[in-house]
Amino acid sequence: MAALCKVVSSLRTGACFNCVTANSSLFIRKSFYCSDSSAPPGGTEAAAPPAAERPKSGFAAAFELQSDLRRREERSAGRSGSSAGEQQSFASLLRRSPLVQMGPAKDKVVVGKIFHVTQDDLYIDFGGKFHCVCARPAAGGEKFQRGGRVRLRLEDLELTGRFLGAGTDTTLLEAQAALLGPLDGPGPGRDPKAKETQT
Amino acid sequence: MAARVLTKGLWGLRNSRFVTVRHQYATAASIKSPQIQMDSNAMEKMLNQPLQTPDFFRLSELYSLKDLFDARVHLGHKKGCRHRLMGPYLFGCRLEQDIIDLDQTMELLQAALNFTAHVAYRGGIILFVSRRRQFGHLVECTAQDCGEYAHTRYWQGGLLTNAPIQYGPGVRLPDLVIFLSTLNNVFQQHVAIRDAAKMNIPTVGVVDSNCNPSLVTYPVPGNDDTPAAVELYCRLFKMTINRAKDKRKQMELLHGLSAASTPSS
Repeated sequence: MAALCKVVSSLRTGACFNCVTANSSLFIRKSFYCSDSSAPPGGTEAAAPPAAERPKSGFAAAFELQSDLRRREERSAGRSGSSAGEQQSFASLLRRSPLVQMGPAKDKVVVGKIFHVTQDDLYIDFGGKFHCVCARPAAGGEKFQRGGRVRLRLEDLELTGRFLGAGTDTTLLEAQAALLGPLDGPGPGRDPKAKETQT
Repeated sequence: MAARVLTKGLWGLRNSRFVTVRHQYATAASIKSPQIQMDSNAMEKMLNQPLQTPDFFRLSELYSLKDLFDARVHLGHKKGCRHRLMGPYLFGCRLEQDIIDLDQTMELLQAALNFTAHVAYRGGIILFVSRRRQFGHLVECTAQDCGEYAHTRYWQGGLLTNAPIQYGPGVRLPDLVIFLSTLNNVFQQHVAIRDAAKMNIPTVGVVDSNCNPSLVTYPVPGNDDTPAAVELYCRLFKMTINRAKDKRKQMELLHGLSAASTPSS
């Protein structure tokens, strides 16, 4: 799901062909539901008499080729399995997951969602195994309510420690992160590698 | 006088339940109100038919690898928390975090759900156990929704092993215990795993990378700490049990009608 959002956002920001972009992004969202309904928009584009048109070159040609390939891939995936993810192995799903792509968790900026509030403690889930608990900041604390999205700087995915005389680590069943602030609209200060939460 | 006769009658009823408990699991409701009369042939056929196919209840269509992955079932604890017996179930260790092998989990989950479905089909009593306070309410609601039982509070020592004395003679023990988390909060294993093994009660349990899978009959290696994963398990077990019970009603009608149509001598 996170990979899907990234692809869609990159399409939006990268392409300057507005109508084609809208069609492709709509297609990618709808591909799981109706892979055939998108054939007409793709078809009408390609159905224009190729002989009469000037052969496209450069970016235009490459973009058409790529979107054509992607369309064909989505169509075949829609026919064979219920979703494109069905055929992926666990190893490839793991390798492409945001958690693994992120690397070491130290000092990474992620987006989390508050799922519980207890007076001044915010319980935030950022897509890892555990949630983290942050104190509500003194300034602007009213913005942080249940369901709100916040930016975090991760320190550890799981707080564990080996004590003297113990056979295994003792774990606190919590992650540790520092609260950076609420998730405002896209701004200049936002880390482009921020990981979206799994929905 | 009447009371003595009543207790004698009840004792006789309980005895008969104990005798037939091996052949036919009967719920209390069905004993009180006999539904469809069928002869032993039809009953045997009805009970043996699900055993002919490997996936009679078609449980593999309830979940997929992607669903398990999205619910973060593959995430384990840190390397230092690992139980040595969970080694074979792990895919590997990434940056000191254990990753559970979802290919193995898929197969083991299928086996566990299939067993649960068969137990529910035969009218067995299922007990959900979890001592995670975060998911206590969820587990209790799941049990209520599928008409089974849950125990998410403090486990008294003799609940299974000393039941006739603690709860009265002739109490019926669960036929399957499902653990949504096999640990107590103090990182001791839940007492019910050992007790169920002592009482010959099969167990299904979600074992995380810091749990001991040895005494669990059908271990399902997976994450037991994330709410998304536990909600997935609860949903799967609920759907399995409901599906099995519906199938049982369907088969009873089917075989009951066919038995009634052929005149029995």
